[in-house]
Amino acid sequence: MTDSIAENALDFVGNAPYVVVALLVLMSLYAMLTQKNLIKICIAISILGASVNMFLVLMGYRHGGGIPIHYLKGAQESMVLPTPQCLTLTAIVIALATTALMLSLVIMVNKHYGTLDIDEIRRLRG
Amino acid sequence: MNVRDHLPAFLVMVPLLGSFLSPVAVSFGKTVRNVFFVAFAALTLLAGAAICVATFGGNILVYVMGGESFALTMPSGMSYPVRILFEIDAFGAVFIFCVSAAAFAGALFSVNYMERFSGWKRFMPLYFLLTAGALGMCATGDMFNFFVFAELASIASFGLTAFWRDKPEAVEAGFKYMFVSQIAAMLLLIATGALYGKYNAVNMGFLASVMESGTMERVVLALIISVTAFRCGAFPMHTHMTDACAEAPCGVTCLLVTVSQASFYGLVRVCYSIFPNLAGGGTVGWLLIVMGSMSMIFGVMMAVIQHDIKRLMGYHSVSQAGYLLTAMGVGLLALGRGGGMEGYGLASIKGGLFHAMNYSFCNGLLFLCAGSLYYATGTRGLDKMGGLARNMPWTAAMFVVAAAGISGLPPFNGFVSKWMIFGSGFAVHPILPALGMVTSVLALASFVKVFQAAFLGPPRAKLIAAREAPYGMLAGMGLLAVLILLLTLFPGWFMGNVFDNAAEALLRPQDYIRAAMGGR
Amino acid sequence: MEHTGMWGHMETGSGYWNVFMWFVFFAIVSGFVLWFRSFGRMDYKRNTEQDEMFLSGWSGSEVPADGAKAAAPGSASYWGFNVALEPVYNVLKRFHNGSASDYAGYFVVTTALIGILLLF
Repeated sequence: MTDSIAENALDFVGNAPYVVVALLVLMSLYAMLTQKNLIKICIAISILGASVNMFLVLMGYRHGGGIPIHYLKGAQESMVLPTPQCLTLTAIVIALATTALMLSLVIMVNKHYGTLDIDEIRRLRG
Repeated sequence: MNVRDHLPAFLVMVPLLGSFLSPVAVSFGKTVRNVFFVAFAALTLLAGAAICVATFGGNILVYVMGGESFALTMPSGMSYPVRILFEIDAFGAVFIFCVSAAAFAGALFSVNYMERFSGWKRFMPLYFLLTAGALGMCATGDMFNFFVFAELASIASFGLTAFWRDKPEAVEAGFKYMFVSQIAAMLLLIATGALYGKYNAVNMGFLASVMESGTMERVVLALIISVTAFRCGAFPMHTHMTDACAEAPCGVTCLLVTVSQASFYGLVRVCYSIFPNLAGGGTVGWLLIVMGSMSMIFGVMMAVIQHDIKRLMGYHSVSQAGYLLTAMGVGLLALGRGGGMEGYGLASIKGGLFHAMNYSFCNGLLFLCAGSLYYATGTRGLDKMGGLARNMPWTAAMFVVAAAGISGLPPFNGFVSKWMIFGSGFAVHPILPALGMVTSVLALASFVKVFQAAFLGPPRAKLIAAREAPYGMLAGMGLLAVLILLLTLFPGWFMGNVFDNAAEALLRPQDYIRAAMGGR
Repeated sequence: MEHTGMWGHMETGSGYWNVFMWFVFFAIVSGFVLWFRSFGRMDYKRNTEQDEMFLSGWSGSEVPADGAKAAAPGSASYWGFNVALEPVYNVLKRFHNGSASDYAGYFVVTTALIGILLLF
């Protein structure tokens, strides 16, 4: 009985990162759709990027897996491949570039329109 | 070294090299800059055309990056490919040819078009990055690199959309495009990560060979369909397309059209090759048909009322993307139903591919004509133009070719491809050809409006000094016009050598898988 | 591939397509047009008052020299179509309202709808 409770608790702890990812994604989507300030929208996009990176690392983890270097670890059942970590690094670099570009676009928008309110930046319509 | 084996690497290498060398070339003065720009774009077109020829007869080109040998997909006894690899079959080659031809035409056009503006050190690298991104999307063999190349193309296109940063509208269009596009990119990454988590791989061919149809796969398929449909401008998510097409410099807009094609390639590849079981069930087919029909009809309805020539053509791009989505949806439905419907599905896919090529050349040419008008008159407003056919006979002639081609006036190419799409669409539901007909009529109506407003009518005092576009711009437009006329005059050759192979490659995912797994 | 000898000819799945037949068709039609035209009036003379412009009630020298004053602007085209479909266009214009958060909302909602469709 106590064992199963402990196992359930462990399962919950094991799944906690997924819950965090889901919460972060929902939070950032909510912020993007409801916030009117351009800077806040940029922050929301960064949060979305961070949560996706966390998801990638999580997806790469194999329970009980060792390092993928045969000589250091010896024979093993399963390995955590470095692929998702490489993917994450690439994604982080891309997210950095997009955040920088987006903030510079926000600066230009602010210069032209004199506002950061997303509802006032709508000359292109119809 | 056999050059033909290394073509897929050249395809992305040439524009990337061009991108990073171009700031150097710009500092050597105007002539060096122009020669460099055109030469690298021409090399890209050469590589693209060579790849298209190399895939004739159903060959599949595979290229492994960073391996001991370019063709060794699974080194030292691996059971699935882990390296980055390019995999190009006849289907991808169609889009590669479209992108590289549009890139060359746009480069020729931009040499004169951008002459008045500074910022070449930023324009040229972004232009080549956009080309490299779009070509990479059509060439890559794994999901993660599809994301990387899509991001490369998107970031370059945000920069180019907002290139004239002294114009508020351009910056606004860039920001809006970027905002929605970033959400889309992240959703694509979630889909890729989920696939990795279950199957330990991101290679498209390997994924296709082990794909099941569980809940996770359904979510992933939904995410990928939504993201790629967004990027190619399907109806409820098309708003960024018109803004970006209207505000980007015209030589770039010509390329943006084909970038949306590259993401259409991704959509079709995912539906037909990676998830054939899930996508063949009927839901995805109807989904594509509904999205496509809505894009067709609403896109063209919005186009009819526009006064801004480039915005009008942006809405046309949305409506033409709708034809492609409908064609592929009809193909999925007809093939999934079986029972003698396969012929219709195949005809629809062939028509869709034919239309994809027509669309990229005709709409590219229309955007270049709009750019030529803008260059001569300094305005994009249709109300301020008039009587320009006397001053700009070549532009007027090429506008007629492009407009007749895309709105499907016989004997032009657009008629054949639309006929093939809707001839088979009739078998699925009789309302589809009706919608297509209405769309074609409205498209023709809006081009008649543009032609009447810009080229016909009495000459205007303000536009007396308007001159025909310089030779570089005419050369870029002429290239696309010649391609349209070739498609018109020799549809049989293109069908027999290009589209037949492409459609068959699409219907044989097992060949795609076998090539990715090293021919086993 | 059996049609490599006839590049203008192709099968479309529901028939066949041949460009050069269209050229023959256009040649025949233009022959007829020229033939009908030869029945037309022969009393036209150059450089007489027959050459004078007549445009929207203006004739001769009353026609403004600047075409901008005489031409119908592009936005006037299909006025009746726009008026007849005004309710539809009001909805469509409200849809393209220019607000980036709405556009992001369309994308997210469409993604969710596609997901629901595929899951159930």
